[in-house]
Amino acid sequence: MSRWLIMGLGLLLEFLLLGRGLQARLVKRYYFFYLYVASVIFFTAVMILANWTAPSLYDRWYWPLQLGTLVTGYGILLEIVNHVLAPYPGAERFARFSGLGAFGVILTFALLAPLVAPHWSRGTIIEFERDLRSVQAVFICGVLAVIFYYGIGMGRNMKGMIMGYGLYILTSLMSLAVRSYAGTRFDQIWDVVQPLSFDISLVIWLVALWSYCPNPTPDHMIHLEEDYGALVARTKGVMGAIRAYIGI
Amino acid sequence: MISLIFFLSVGVLLFSSLFLLARRNTRPEGSSSALVEARQALRTLQAGLLPLELVNRVFAEQDWEYVRSETPRCIHELFLDERKGIALLWLKQVRTQIRSLQRFHRGAARHYARLNPRTEVELALSFAALMGACKVLQVLVYVAGPYAAPRMVGLVANVANRACKTSEQSLGFLDAARLGALARPSDAAIL
Repeated sequence: MSRWLIMGLGLLLEFLLLGRGLQARLVKRYYFFYLYVASVIFFTAVMILANWTAPSLYDRWYWPLQLGTLVTGYGILLEIVNHVLAPYPGAERFARFSGLGAFGVILTFALLAPLVAPHWSRGTIIEFERDLRSVQAVFICGVLAVIFYYGIGMGRNMKGMIMGYGLYILTSLMSLAVRSYAGTRFDQIWDVVQPLSFDISLVIWLVALWSYCPNPTPDHMIHLEEDYGALVARTKGVMGAIRAYIGI
Repeated sequence: MISLIFFLSVGVLLFSSLFLLARRNTRPEGSSSALVEARQALRTLQAGLLPLELVNRVFAEQDWEYVRSETPRCIHELFLDERKGIALLWLKQVRTQIRSLQRFHRGAARHYARLNPRTEVELALSFAALMGACKVLQVLVYVAGPYAAPRMVGLVANVANRACKTSEQSLGFLDAARLGALARPSDAAIL
């Protein structure tokens, strides 16, 4: 019962988030994010309806729809790369390089897995989702590492988007890992923890995306009259000199 | 059990990243003011703190020999403590130089569309190794003192000088006119 209450509250928050996004014209700016929100609304509505009308359909539809939202959730990661790293082509290239690799892994898993194992047990599919969530977690860590390393600033919208989605992935990953280890005895906790963590993420998104807040950009864009190779060569030159003197 | 530990570790990594994000300032680093600061720091070091003659004088072994032969034992300890402090300060400055260079490189490299991720990873590892090596030297000086390894002090001085000179070349594109243009009113006071 508590699960359905939490999911109902979540549906309300999702509609509020989408409605506010349309009103504040954020949908045009962050279309991948709102596509994800729309897909989650569809998923939640179908699940609630299925549970009321034909409970047998719930188990049959849960995982395909869950995997669908997992793939659209990747759009949030693309949104982060597009908006936060856009003014920094070098850092964006770095993040895109690692992001495409992670997306390739997700897509390959999603396409090949049903062919390889068409009759999955609940346990197997939980492990599958856990693996995909871990790929997303690693990707977020990678993008954040690039952001921290290059000292890139973020506005409230993007910070909230990453915090909300990161928190949801974190809770999902932890609960899926424990569920696949502990078995069905963890189901009661898992059934509440996962939708509850998503509701918390929705609240974070609602606050962070209430109005448009652009990312800060460097106060001056310096045009360097040398190419990247020359910059690297100079940096390496200094380090080589330091190494030679220190003797390492 | 191993897979549980592995996935929980990934979770801990993600939690740490989100925690750092929550605590982080939203202001971008490596902006023009940061470059101006890097340039200013180099100038101060080169002009006031790093001339080789001054370094040789500060770390001259003759001073230690003189103090050892002409003063009581309690003065020896005081002298060695002070010289050790200076050596540690010097190593700290080398670390500052490396950090300044790294900050400059990151601030510039992120704007290049042709950035090579592999090269960037290599550079990041090299910077980390250099910083680590400096830290080890600091520990050695702290434990063994400035005269336990006299060549090392000279080494540090040369490193600091060379680092400053080459870093200046890296920052050479920031000529005086451009520095003035880049500096905000608050920076103008520093300059």
